[in-house]
Amino acid sequence: MTASVIQAVLLSLTVAGLYAAVAAGLTLTVGVTRIINFAHGEFVMLGAFLTYWLYTRYGISPWLGMLASGVALGLFSIVVYRAFLARVLKQDEHNQLLATLGLSILLLNVAIIMWSPDPRVMQAPALLPTLQFAGVTIPGNNIVVALVGLLLFVALLGIKNYTRYGTQMRFASDDPVLAMHTGVNVDRIFELSFVIGGAAAGISGGLVALLLYVQPTVGIDLVIRAFAIIALGGLGNIPGALVGAAILSLVEGLIGTFVPGGGSWGFGVAFLILLLVLLVRPSGIFGRQVHT
Amino acid sequence: MSTSLPARLALYVAIAAPLVLIAFSDRPFLVQVAIGTAISAILALAWDILSRTGQVSLGHAAFFGIGGYGSALLTPILGAPLAWIAGMLLCAVVAVLLGAVTLRLRRLYFTIATLSFSLSIHVVILVTPGLTGGSTGIMPPVIAGGSPTLQLLFITGCLMVAAAVSDVFLGRRFRPAFFMIRNNPDLAAASGVPVTRLKILAFVVSGMIAGLAGACYCGLYGYVIPDDVFTTNWNVLPLAVTILGGMDTTLGPVVGAVVLRLLEEVARHFVGGVGYQVVYGAVIILFIVGMPEGLVGFARHLMRRYRRPETQVKKPELAS
Repeated sequence: MTASVIQAVLLSLTVAGLYAAVAAGLTLTVGVTRIINFAHGEFVMLGAFLTYWLYTRYGISPWLGMLASGVALGLFSIVVYRAFLARVLKQDEHNQLLATLGLSILLLNVAIIMWSPDPRVMQAPALLPTLQFAGVTIPGNNIVVALVGLLLFVALLGIKNYTRYGTQMRFASDDPVLAMHTGVNVDRIFELSFVIGGAAAGISGGLVALLLYVQPTVGIDLVIRAFAIIALGGLGNIPGALVGAAILSLVEGLIGTFVPGGGSWGFGVAFLILLLVLLVRPSGIFGRQVHT
Repeated sequence: MSTSLPARLALYVAIAAPLVLIAFSDRPFLVQVAIGTAISAILALAWDILSRTGQVSLGHAAFFGIGGYGSALLTPILGAPLAWIAGMLLCAVVAVLLGAVTLRLRRLYFTIATLSFSLSIHVVILVTPGLTGGSTGIMPPVIAGGSPTLQLLFITGCLMVAAAVSDVFLGRRFRPAFFMIRNNPDLAAASGVPVTRLKILAFVVSGMIAGLAGACYCGLYGYVIPDDVFTTNWNVLPLAVTILGGMDTTLGPVVGAVVLRLLEEVARHFVGGVGYQVVYGAVIILFIVGMPEGLVGFARHLMRRYRRPETQVKKPELAS
């Protein structure tokens, strides 16, 4: 019994690595540009498909596939930003939200039309050996997901807090007008943060291919969780996203494991928790509270 | 945006007349399409009323489903008309609670909270099979004995009710306050607008009308499963319809529902049953970038340009 509890907790925490990776990329973009990017999930989905194909068609290791997805989605983000998002940046928040939601629906359905909605499994050999101790078994791919997710997370945190670009990002997000007057190229900083977020989505997509079914709707499922996570942690707060991811994946994993037939409703219960948290702290657990 | 009573009545007739004509035509497919379009229009009107106070909901599937399930499950106990009223009252109660919870949330948080609410309600239905039939669904009583003609007439009536309610909230009593709350809540509060009360009022009215749409939908075929009503599709559809047609109007959501349905049928023809929602995405993007005021706003803009000399002479209208 204790072994199965420990196993469930550890497995859930490895999934938290994936959730944190998706949420960290999203919260970086949202925190800097204030654009609520619904299409982030579809970027993750595209990354998952890319990693999957690189492995199944060309035998390229998922390690490389992950990196390639990161680069490809970073480039794709540049296109999306220049062709589309830069135009809606000037409109009100309401329209920005709808615009990225539209992009999300468009990409999702194009994927469904082109590649069919069927789920696929990437049957790659595990990238790391399976961990076994005291009756607990953690598959190697789960360890990869936890490690890479955490690494990605730390990297994004580092970029935001300790680089020159990160300082400019925080400045541009706090006061775009003042930042512009002091010589920060706000538009380029916004683009950069969007592109970094996109690249993070691509790498997260590689993790998805290791852990979950590769299918067009995988992105929307993840982005909804990511929104819950960043709302739990507080908008733009990257460490908060880690705590949010752990809470969400633990609730979901434990209910899925120990409640009979609970596999489908852990998700809903997690959202109930989110609603309750927002009731007490309207800007999330670690978010700056705004009094109105 | 002056809407005198005769102009409004003319609008209602213009909306209802084609639907009634279709109802009595001998084209079963067209009747079904008209039914679906009218239900979308009702749901979109509900969404638009809420959005006028700046509350962008992605959770209207919850009210759609609660209205449908509520009226269906209560019909054996209360009888048909009362059960529908009770179902809508249930939506109103839920809307008050959700509205109170989400009142202080800023925009993104509000949207996420409504989305998570609809997901949670879906789960509540799944885990209470004793009460709600769980994943196997329920068998609501069929509207109008299953006659498509009568069903369409009934739903047209519901659409008229929704349009009339929408116009009440576009009238001089509510319109200025609603838009002030959307554009600057602090200023609204400082000017003595009862922000809290009006936001919750908008939520209640919106929830009840969405519930009405859901009750209509569930009563169409006499069988409904949770995945039919509590899906993201119903969360996104009202938004796409309203953006397409034009926000903050009564005609907009109706026009939007018709045009979106047309686009949907065209897309279905080309890409088949899955993926036709690609038009939702394309429509939202195109309209946000190119025509942010929707079809009705665009038409109005054209008319204004055409009639410019006249409008310049006209006295500025009071908020009506």
